[in-house]
Amino acid sequence: MYTLSVYLRLLRAQLRSQFQYRASFWLDVFTTAVFSGVYFLSFVLLLERFGQIAGWRLGEVAFLAGMTELTFALMDLIFSGFDPDFFAPNVQMGRLDQIFLRPVNITVQLLGSRLVLRRLGRALEGLVILLFGIFASGMHWTLAKVLYLPILMISQIFCMGALFMAGSTITFWTIQRVEAVNIVTYGGVEMMSYPMSIYPGWIRRFFTYVLPFIFMNYYPALFFLDKPDPLNMPAFAPFLAPFVAALLFWLALRFWRFGLNHYQSTGS
Amino acid sequence: MSTPIIRVTNLVKLFKVPIREKRGLAAIRSFFYRRFRTVRAVDEVSFSLEPGELVGYLGPNGAGKSTTIKMLTGLLVPTSGELSVAGFTPWKQRAAYVANLGAVFGQRVTLWWDLPVLDSYDLIRAMYRIPADRYQQNLKAFRELLELDEFIQSPVRALSLGQRMRAELCGALLHDPRLVFLDEPTIGLDVVAKERIRQFIQHIHRERGTTIILTTHDLADVERLCHRVIILDVGRILYDGDLGRLAQRFEGPHELRIAIAEDGPAVLLPGLPPPRRDGRFLVYAFDPRQTPVAGLLQQLNGQAAFTDLEVHRPPLEDTIRRIYEQRLLLPDGPAD
Repeated sequence: MYTLSVYLRLLRAQLRSQFQYRASFWLDVFTTAVFSGVYFLSFVLLLERFGQIAGWRLGEVAFLAGMTELTFALMDLIFSGFDPDFFAPNVQMGRLDQIFLRPVNITVQLLGSRLVLRRLGRALEGLVILLFGIFASGMHWTLAKVLYLPILMISQIFCMGALFMAGSTITFWTIQRVEAVNIVTYGGVEMMSYPMSIYPGWIRRFFTYVLPFIFMNYYPALFFLDKPDPLNMPAFAPFLAPFVAALLFWLALRFWRFGLNHYQSTGS
Repeated sequence: MSTPIIRVTNLVKLFKVPIREKRGLAAIRSFFYRRFRTVRAVDEVSFSLEPGELVGYLGPNGAGKSTTIKMLTGLLVPTSGELSVAGFTPWKQRAAYVANLGAVFGQRVTLWWDLPVLDSYDLIRAMYRIPADRYQQNLKAFRELLELDEFIQSPVRALSLGQRMRAELCGALLHDPRLVFLDEPTIGLDVVAKERIRQFIQHIHRERGTTIILTTHDLADVERLCHRVIILDVGRILYDGDLGRLAQRFEGPHELRIAIAEDGPAVLLPGLPPPRRDGRFLVYAFDPRQTPVAGLLQQLNGQAAFTDLEVHRPPLEDTIRRIYEQRLLLPDGPAD
């Protein structure tokens, strides 16, 4: 309870800090939304030209892309403090030492140390695309889908958050941020935005058995859109997302703790 | 004697530092396989502090000061040796331990940059679970002592350096820490601001009995505040003891300056080298341990008609520099 209330206070402090720069905040949200909108428009035009990707119509691809766009933006908001691009210089400046000196859980303090509100612009864009996808694909709602949608979104947020945490932890050893980390994070998320069936076998196997992203978005989308599974996975595959997310997040937390111990013994 | 609040025994911290290869092939090889050398940042350091002491922890850059402080605050795990602070082993039970600490780093901002100072204090109150009445009392006292009212509603980013240090000091002490680390608390401040900070530190030390470890390059801080100093060099303790006695033992020659009539002849004093002329002053260098001032004055009275007289002690800074440069103290040599 205490930790939660401190977390909420820290978030509120971040909100108040950002509202000091109100004009620039709205400008940021606006530009992000415009940029994302243009990006999506080019995507729509491309798809209209070809009609479909591997049996996926525009609305269905929009469902996939809108989903990751929305959850990634929300994750980017919640896990702002673990953004490797922010975390590495933060450690170099000694900010982590200050966090160590406060009697509150370190992870919670980091989560409360930054909240990039302008990510809301991207979240909004993702939401619009997702809604467009839901309507354009003519998705049939069932009770199971209504219940599973929020669970899936939370799972995706934690799954991507795990990538951020792992990416930040690596910088304990490398000092500098590592570009390869961003390739995995942003590349992995980009991969999730398209039907996995379009990728060559080895890529698909990588995202099935190494980084099991295929269960985070592709399989759930098959379930939501009532599409047949061309890959012949077991019928429960669409519902693995929460378990995969929990596993990845648990691993990331372990790695993060390990990194903190390393930090304490080397002082980098 | 009460039990020490800090007990440090044979503390050692080794760092592995990659060897940078400068030339072609070796540089490329080091990209794949780095060789390391071991640096003894802190080397068999032992000391203890009684509750309520105010100790100056001194040493040139790279002496191992901040490495020691990092171990004392739990940020670093020692390579070997024992460390007990306020009944805790600092790097274990981190959260419970750091609730007893306060820390101010002159070069860093710990308050929330874009928030009014008072909002930062409110966050600190929640983080340290400070009881409401205690918080109000402390805040009221510190507002007065540090004169925070003029800027307590301003965001931290809008404060001057001196104001920010005052705000930081208050923030570090609101939760009644038993032990406070002050790292360069007066760095970059003007004389007035420095004095205000020193007065506050002294007040906290005297009125609240807070144990304080002060690291600073400004020896005026040390002279003003500390009776006891611990001097470090290359990871080892050179001196641990009374500041006054340190000065007595190691300070260089004092200066006796007398003002005489212009163009008067230089007066020679027996046992002292001939004086140097500085305007209308004659300047004698003497060692008070061998030539007491009283004796000098008697001799002068007989010989010269002087209109003014000054005796200068060398500043502590010169004394400490002498100790380092002339290697007057060896690690773990006789301290006191």
